[in-house]
Amino acid sequence: MDTAPKAASPAGGPHAPSRKAMRLAIAGSGLLLVIAFAAFYWATSLASRRKAAEAGDAVAVTVTDSACEPMDLTVPAGRTTFAITNRSNRAMEWEILDGVMVVEERENIAPGITQTIAARLAAGTYDITCGLLSNPRGKLHVTPAQADAEPAAPALLAFIGPLAEYQVQLLTHAGDFATATSALAQAVQADDLERARALYGEARLSYARLAPAADLFADLDTRLDARADDFGGREQDPLFKGLHRVEYGLFAQNTTAGLRAPAEALAADAGELNQRMATLQLQPDRMVSGAARLMRRAAGLEAMGGAEKYAHSDLADIQAEADAVLGIATLLRPLAQKASPGLPARIDADGAALTALLAAHRDGTGFSSFETVAADQRAAIAAALTTLGDDMDTLGAALGLTTSGRSVQ
Amino acid sequence: MKRSVLMLATALSLSLGALQAQAAVSPLDLVAPIAQYKVYVTKELDAFVAATKDFTDAVKAGDLAKAKTLYASARAHYERIEPIAELFSDLDGAIDSRADDHAKKEKDPTFTGYHRIEYGLFVTNSTDGLAPFADKLMADVNDLQARVKGLTFPPEKVVGGAAALLEEVAATKISGEEDRYSHTDLMDFQANIDGAQEVYTLFKPLLAKDAKNEAFLKKVDANFASVDAILVKYKTADGFESYDKLSKKDRKALAGPVNTLAEDLSKMRGLLGLK
Amino acid sequence: MTSHPTSPHRTSSLDRRSLLKGFGALGGAAAGMLGTAAVARADDISSPVTTAPESNRTAERVDFYGVHQSGIVTPRPATGMVVAFDVLATTRPDLERLFRTLTERIAFLMQGGAPPKLDPKLPPADSGILGPVVVPDNLTVTVSVGASLFDERFGLAPKKPRHLNAMEQFPNDALDPDLCHGDLMLQFCSNTADTNIHALRDIVKNLPDLLLVRWKQEGSVPMIAARPGAKAESARNFLGFRDGSANPDSADAAVMERVVWVKGGEEPDWAANGSYQVVRIIRNFVERWDRTPLLEQEEIFGRKKASGAPFGGHTEQDVPNYAADPKGRQTRLDAHIRLANPRTSATQANLILRRPFNYSNGISKSGQLEMGLLFIAYQADLEQGFITVQKRLNGEPLEEYIKPIGGGYFFALPGVSGPSDFLGSALLAPGEPT
Repeated sequence: MDTAPKAASPAGGPHAPSRKAMRLAIAGSGLLLVIAFAAFYWATSLASRRKAAEAGDAVAVTVTDSACEPMDLTVPAGRTTFAITNRSNRAMEWEILDGVMVVEERENIAPGITQTIAARLAAGTYDITCGLLSNPRGKLHVTPAQADAEPAAPALLAFIGPLAEYQVQLLTHAGDFATATSALAQAVQADDLERARALYGEARLSYARLAPAADLFADLDTRLDARADDFGGREQDPLFKGLHRVEYGLFAQNTTAGLRAPAEALAADAGELNQRMATLQLQPDRMVSGAARLMRRAAGLEAMGGAEKYAHSDLADIQAEADAVLGIATLLRPLAQKASPGLPARIDADGAALTALLAAHRDGTGFSSFETVAADQRAAIAAALTTLGDDMDTLGAALGLTTSGRSVQ
Repeated sequence: MKRSVLMLATALSLSLGALQAQAAVSPLDLVAPIAQYKVYVTKELDAFVAATKDFTDAVKAGDLAKAKTLYASARAHYERIEPIAELFSDLDGAIDSRADDHAKKEKDPTFTGYHRIEYGLFVTNSTDGLAPFADKLMADVNDLQARVKGLTFPPEKVVGGAAALLEEVAATKISGEEDRYSHTDLMDFQANIDGAQEVYTLFKPLLAKDAKNEAFLKKVDANFASVDAILVKYKTADGFESYDKLSKKDRKALAGPVNTLAEDLSKMRGLLGLK
Repeated sequence: MTSHPTSPHRTSSLDRRSLLKGFGALGGAAAGMLGTAAVARADDISSPVTTAPESNRTAERVDFYGVHQSGIVTPRPATGMVVAFDVLATTRPDLERLFRTLTERIAFLMQGGAPPKLDPKLPPADSGILGPVVVPDNLTVTVSVGASLFDERFGLAPKKPRHLNAMEQFPNDALDPDLCHGDLMLQFCSNTADTNIHALRDIVKNLPDLLLVRWKQEGSVPMIAARPGAKAESARNFLGFRDGSANPDSADAAVMERVVWVKGGEEPDWAANGSYQVVRIIRNFVERWDRTPLLEQEEIFGRKKASGAPFGGHTEQDVPNYAADPKGRQTRLDAHIRLANPRTSATQANLILRRPFNYSNGISKSGQLEMGLLFIAYQADLEQGFITVQKRLNGEPLEEYIKPIGGGYFFALPGVSGPSDFLGSALLAPGEPT
């Protein structure tokens, strides 16, 4: 699971240009970033230290060509790390099954390799797979936990409701985004600068609301949300498209001229995003890991001077993105409350703290330009975003979805 | 997908001595149909709010004929999504309770909602005194829309919704006691069936993944078709014939498929791995 | 019917003979034969199809006299019936005649014996459905009064028990006025439904000017095979669950004194040793229930269906440890048994003694089975007892499958001390300060 906090890039590098831009920015930027990155490194190293500790207490299981060794395991309820060594002659996966349901699995363990897998298990008897489907299954007995033991992670079934609700929300925002961008394309077509600017804001906010999941479609995310800095020729680069290209025209060049093609391409991509959202099969861990990444990415960008270089509407974006992240936490709240009773309140408090920081810059129904936000205030906002990102990691860990995160007592 | 093939293999390879509902689907497969169901419910609720607005406006304007015409079709939206709507029991009582649910029946001040207004329109034959009920109904329906919007749909209520709607039909629609003043039961009947069919259709592809379910799906399809075929005979341009037009023979012919659907759809939760 | 738990065939004729001899009469075997029996001798019955089924329990008798009425803490037999009446008496003397006659009839019916033989040109004194000699058959008839008896008719208003009012409608109720309330309530319990019916017909025949039947509901409980030495089991309701597992011990007089019997002081003096009675006709949607997954059924109740054990327990008698399960991981917080009896020290004050039967009444307009639970409960304090428990149950998940449609609150009169006393004597006694 990819939980190591990388500022702008999930595994697979769909944001390669962003990362490059980031490095450039780091070079030219000051102390703030050092602080921000110190936080990232702290979190990263904490996570890896945890992993090392887990591997030390891991329950070892060796899988041969014909069976598991041992075939019968007993562990206490709560969190257990298993170290699975593949001594068979082919790549295999190892699963813990509750009836026919997969509780945990580690895929693609190559021959000769040991992989760890952490699972939070409720008391009961489970099956474990042992290589080939034709091999006999082993038994995993989970004994009831002590009173003070960690609560078990919710079963996969428990995530169906929140996932479905989240998918509905994503569909709604993607629909709004498609509607706003196509209206924006029409406004550009009609040379209506004021209306186009207003619609840009609407489109931007809709995209911010689905941002925790936007990087599920890395190609589209790059097309829709790349910044000029990501391109060699910056604003003049012919590959520079998407929201920021339109923003550049509307707010820096103050004209709709030359925006017809980018605006139409934007609307088309938004339409495609909408369609892909409808067929999305979201995994529970992506709800929190996407949210955590988004918050840290936002923290990095704000520290660097903002994402909305021309419209300077960063504060509204941040609020919308934070709301989206808090919305995810709300969907998972009933599960989190059981798994880690103090956590929801802490996320609420951290969310409220961020909102309070932003509220200082409220201007009527919207926000002041990001240019008016002083450096120390930007740093405070970035720090609050980072905290919220960490909270989402903690949430993921509490729900047994990921393996890192701070513990909550 | 690798996962689903594996799950299928797992399900097949387990020899469970007892009769046990087996799931050939991953829990995550349920997410998309549940999300689609929420979209369906949201659309029906939007339509319900709009139809209730027109209906209550007509009541308040004293337009008796128009209010009578709008009554059944407005309610149909509610009847389609009842498994979700009735999760809010206070609103369900306020919007959809029948006189029997109240100590003083029609005279009870707590008797409100569609059936209270139905009583006024079709028995008292007047809109007099109905305006406060119309205002309250509109407020309750708006409240329902807001609450459903914020609701994470419980998977077992969604999948179980198909069966719940058929239970509703079996218990109150076959007898014609739901809309006892307006006799528009057939509209409700069809709406319940539509709502059940929507749920069933959304989850059918998952059930169809398991070859063992083939006969089950065929049977359910056939019974839905039987019910629809009878109901269609009573369709009119703007709704349905009055319930008393339903022949005794057709009423009996409906009972078999309805009860069988209730039996069969009650297995859907278990077949999909929900309890 | 259900009165022969061990064998449906004639296997105990010896028992039967000796039993019948005890009553000095030929008795019941021929009673069911009606027309054909007129020419058949007892040992020459040609059609076993119409031979009367046998019971070796017809001589079972419950004492009528005592501090308390019987039929409350008395072990519940297989069949029960409640009948609510409107009182037609209009004067205090007529009311007293009503209670005196009731006392006399019930004393006889519970004792058993031969009704007087009348001139055959007259209608007979007894319906004859139990034969020429009435067998007690474990009969109890328990008399209670409704709030309406304390209206202006008899000047009894000052004597009304503190909590006695017409039963209110709870949120899930759909009460049919024709199945609710009444001036007087008789609860009949015995081994067979026919014994209850015989007693009812006797009372109706003897009090035509004073009583009018208002509504009636019969019920029964499924019997189980006798298992000598085994732990007692609660009978199952029509949802298939054991009902009564957590009932307070009716054999424990001290517990009954606290839970069931009204004491002087808190209530009008006459009411001491009486008890508040709650009757509810609770329809069960059995088709729907039978289409509900077993796991959900069990979660709704909070017990395992087969054994009756609470979650985490093994037998019906195991007491669930809710204190160790504050979040409802083991037993849902809204499980029926957990709401009904949360087993905290505070809720001990809300205990009630249940005495339910199952009923079955034909079909609904939709062609569904009309059946459910004839809920009967007794308690010393109606407010602390049933009303508090029911308020906790309001909104429980079980409501999806049940619908209370009738019943009422009544007050079971104190017992009759001996042949010179009568039911309600203290209630009707003049001179009690008002």
